[in-house]
Amino acid sequence: MNQAVISCLHANLPAVEAVLKDIELQGITNITCLGDLVGYGPQPNEVIELIRDKKIPTCQGCWDEDVVDGLDACDCSYPSQLAEKRGHFAHQWTTDKLTKENKDYLANLPYSIRKDKCLFVHGSPNSQHEYLLPDMDAFAALERVENARAEILFCGHTHQPYIRELADGSIAVKIKNAAPKDIQEKEIQLPMRRIVNAGSVGEPRHGGTKATYVVHNEFTNEVKIREVEYDLELTCKAIIDAGLPPIFAWRLKNGFEFAEQAEDASHVCER
Amino acid sequence: MIERWALVSGLKGDLDTYELIQKDLKKTPGNITLFVLGDMIGPEKNCNRLLHRLINPKSNDLQPWCIYGWWEEQILLESGYRGDQRAEALRINKGEEVVKSLTNAVDKSFLEWIAALQFGFVELDCGLIHGSSKDIGENLTLDTPPLTLLDRLTRLQVNRLFTARSKQQFHLELTEGTVNSEVEDLNGNRKKEQKVPQKAVIGIGAGKNYTLYDVGTDNTQFVQAGYKSEKRIKGFGRL
Repeated sequence: MNQAVISCLHANLPAVEAVLKDIELQGITNITCLGDLVGYGPQPNEVIELIRDKKIPTCQGCWDEDVVDGLDACDCSYPSQLAEKRGHFAHQWTTDKLTKENKDYLANLPYSIRKDKCLFVHGSPNSQHEYLLPDMDAFAALERVENARAEILFCGHTHQPYIRELADGSIAVKIKNAAPKDIQEKEIQLPMRRIVNAGSVGEPRHGGTKATYVVHNEFTNEVKIREVEYDLELTCKAIIDAGLPPIFAWRLKNGFEFAEQAEDASHVCER
Repeated sequence: MIERWALVSGLKGDLDTYELIQKDLKKTPGNITLFVLGDMIGPEKNCNRLLHRLINPKSNDLQPWCIYGWWEEQILLESGYRGDQRAEALRINKGEEVVKSLTNAVDKSFLEWIAALQFGFVELDCGLIHGSSKDIGENLTLDTPPLTLLDRLTRLQVNRLFTARSKQQFHLELTEGTVNSEVEDLNGNRKKEQKVPQKAVIGIGAGKNYTLYDVGTDNTQFVQAGYKSEKRIKGFGRL
């Protein structure tokens, strides 16, 4: 049986509708969402209500948390101080726009969802704000999955879809400076584990404009990254009409990975 | 001259033990740097005299370099230094009486000094912390999975991690390791083999049990204050 995993919807209703349609066309009814229903995009209430209406199990993303609890992360991930200002503007805009009912819904989302051997989180099992990038230290990546007692970890947050398999691992250890009878050397075999990043439905940062999500076959364990076209113009117009920073529309339209990267490359966060 | 670090923790207000360690260290050869890896305070006894001595060392004392530990974190929580949070974990696990004993054991005039202490030190390629790089309350022991130990080393980007929280004394080397990583994304597939460079986690002990670390040779000596070093020596060598 196939399951679809979606993430980082970011209040982009046309993209969410297109992805849900694509999932429906494949006959998949089992969908899990990894959060960030809101932020950046112009239709936060509409996206939340669609997910609620479809009864899609959802974990809380970093934007969902911040809208409820206030900004509490360093936000060092912003490529510049200007980008950070725009992010904070979008945060306030979203907070003002959301209905109380939808805020309550976001507030009550779980940090993680577990289904048998699969664990679903927004960022990592440690935090909604931690990025599990595709090329991060392989042992650290394996530790995130193993210590979460999962075989497959589904995450989002990076907006870059990928499937990472960590296999054939081992670590040799030796106890030093002990009585001779206590000195031991042993090699520990590490389990094979996978991290699957669903990418982003509403704000892709993979170099293209298409929304992405993943389909996992629970029997064969096969995972496929799906790319879906949606009415980009509609979202871009809604961003402008809502009074959100026009650069949000510009980067969506151009599929830029980091739209603001070059504006203040010297930004070093000291918080 | 040999450079050595003396790594101490878990004094919990015990000035007598601290003085015994200072006395030991005066007799230890080499250029010694004294690190106190937290838990200078605790609920069992009044900690003011020890804190005063750490802040105002006697003229012939080794200067102590202190970081905060789990008990310091509890008193900071309870005293409002961590926003709205209070020492709930302590309250739930040990009860209200212990929370009161802790706050009574430390004069409020020391709180600013405690609040200014660092989480840890990074010296050379070594991390010196109370618990782990993930959590001040995390116990790292010989039984901790090597994958977890490696992660805690990686988080600090160090090759040696000195930890005190478990109260145990051990020196565990991660001698080698490997893992294969295969990433598939929209650009295709890429494979990589990652290896573990030699690293170690060292439990320094607590109270009278402390550790001497020889920076030049990477050797540890587990010591009990007032007694001979517990380093195992072949033949008839003397320390």
